Amino acid sequence: MDGFSGLLHGFGVALTWYHVMLMVIGVLLGILVGVLPGLGAPNGVSLLLPLTFTMDPVSAIILLTSMYWGALFGGSTTSILFNIPGEPSSVATTFDGYPMAQNGRATEALSFAFLSAGFGAIVGVLLITALSGWVTQFALKFSSPEFFGVYFLAFASFVGLSGAPPLKAAVSIALGFSLAAVGMDSVSGSLRLTFGYDVLLAGISFLVAVIGLFGIGELILTIEDGLKLDGIRAKITPRDVLRTAAQMPKHWATLLRSSIVGCWMGITPGGPTAASFMSYGLAKRFSAYRANFGKGEPDGVIAPETADHSAGTSAMLPMMALGLPGSATAAVMLGGLMIWGLNPGPMLFVERPDFVWGLIASMYLGNVVAVVLVLATVPLFASILRIPFAIIGPLIVVVCFIGAYTIAGRPFDLWLALAFGILGYVFKKLDYPIAPLILAMVIGDKAEDAFRQSMIMSKGSLSIFWSNPLVTSLMLLGLVLLFWPLLGALRQRLRAARS
Amino acid sequence: MIARWQAELGMAAFLAVIGVITIIGAREYGVGWSPSGPEPGAFPFYMGIIVLLASLANALRALVAGLRPALWSEQAFLKPEQMRLVLGFTLPILGLVVASLMLGLYVGMALYLFGTLVLQNRYPVLKASLIALATPVLAYFLIERVFKVAMLKGPLEAWLGL
Repeated sequence: MDGFSGLLHGFGVALTWYHVMLMVIGVLLGILVGVLPGLGAPNGVSLLLPLTFTMDPVSAIILLTSMYWGALFGGSTTSILFNIPGEPSSVATTFDGYPMAQNGRATEALSFAFLSAGFGAIVGVLLITALSGWVTQFALKFSSPEFFGVYFLAFASFVGLSGAPPLKAAVSIALGFSLAAVGMDSVSGSLRLTFGYDVLLAGISFLVAVIGLFGIGELILTIEDGLKLDGIRAKITPRDVLRTAAQMPKHWATLLRSSIVGCWMGITPGGPTAASFMSYGLAKRFSAYRANFGKGEPDGVIAPETADHSAGTSAMLPMMALGLPGSATAAVMLGGLMIWGLNPGPMLFVERPDFVWGLIASMYLGNVVAVVLVLATVPLFASILRIPFAIIGPLIVVVCFIGAYTIAGRPFDLWLALAFGILGYVFKKLDYPIAPLILAMVIGDKAEDAFRQSMIMSKGSLSIFWSNPLVTSLMLLGLVLLFWPLLGALRQRLRAARS
Repeated sequence: MIARWQAELGMAAFLAVIGVITIIGAREYGVGWSPSGPEPGAFPFYMGIIVLLASLANALRALVAGLRPALWSEQAFLKPEQMRLVLGFTLPILGLVVASLMLGLYVGMALYLFGTLVLQNRYPVLKASLIALATPVLAYFLIERVFKVAMLKGPLEAWLGL
């Protein structure tokens, strides 16, 4: 089943009262975590995940993805009204969104942000609908070496392209894989890296890591800035929204370009944050009003928002088809899939078409629901931020620790959450990237299995990674990306020598 | 004040130690080849080596920067007033963890909220008590009644028979 018939089937699954209700709840919870400092999409999904263990996987993924869309929207709200990005991926929205709000155009800025975000999301889902069948057919030809090649490519692109210092990205990735190895080894049954401590037998949950690294770490960072919330009030009327919507077609070039950037960065694991910055930069370069950027130019809101959301949605494609998440939030959901007993990867499309197409259909509906809800509830959620941080901060801390405990009911996880919180704070301050660490923790076992299976197939020879054109090109591309920063430095030196 | 290069050096050293621990731990399970494929320690072993080598390189860069004051040492990692804010926020969290492990999460969060609000932010005792009591009660109904998940409990819950 693929393409149109699959989608129709999916709408049949997603369009029940129960699922629409889950979408509404998910989106509202998402806006809440997106608006609150310290709670973002990856963290919100991690906190909610343990509560879905008993749910049906289709309902659970609809709830979690809806929360993701809501969080993306919530993050842009605070960027525009408070100049505080609720999400790392909405940092670029502050550049022009906040100046617009200061100039008395808050409503316009919010409407532009939500409508272009909705547009970007729909482009992302359309791409998934069109490509998923094809990607799956392609991925069904994969065996262990090819899967290892794909993982290698993904992590190499983190080192080479993410913009973080390459050596620090490498540390993050290898540390994530090491943490994933703690506890029972799924192949041999040996208890690795536990050093005799019983609390480590079950391993280190990536959910605790996310709650610490993203939640508590982010809060400490917020506190350090001496947070002052100085919001701009906005009221959104349907007429304002319609007036802004009528202006949207004028910005078609930015919308289209940003969607392409977003989809590309979502499918290759560049992630929404990189996508929004890149898209903002491109919009500035191509704009006729370049001088107006940073002072409240609508294109400066439309570009990062469109890219952010198209990256967020299209990150679901590699997650489902290859078992390779394109963002930290997608990584958490991938972990959820495995906990629910599903096997992400091409076989998911064959074994559970109801799940896959139900999810894709819910992405269309969920994003429409999200745009409507966020427009309706912005004033309400913005008022939450007017509660003093002295109250909100400790409450978020409490929620994080409740979440850390609910994952497995282990008291030790409270210590881990605190330790990861401090680690996350220092990592952020020193430019160690966090997303690849989470990705490595989630797919650590799968990547290791792929490596070990390949080694068994080849009787220990690394040449298996050069054994056919497919795996060779994956590995070669990975190596090029891995050494990309080195190549860049070399080129610069050559140029300097020449001049 | 903590300078940026000092923080970089400290973090790199810490991560290098983690790398060494990983390598030692991995070696216990064999890092070579067995008849059934790579031994269980092999993968973490190489990951530990990457962490160690990359961290040593990062440490070296931090040291070089520390020797050239003009470059990095001007950059502060943490100014004294920031350090006060960070510690003032993090230490109560440590208290929350310790109290929760001894008395359960509900009592722990009540004490933590009351403490931060009254002692740190000088909220009126009545208002702070209201928040500190309402939060665990609300959390209890949401978590244990709605989602039916058991929370870490202590002597008070045992005494109340919850």
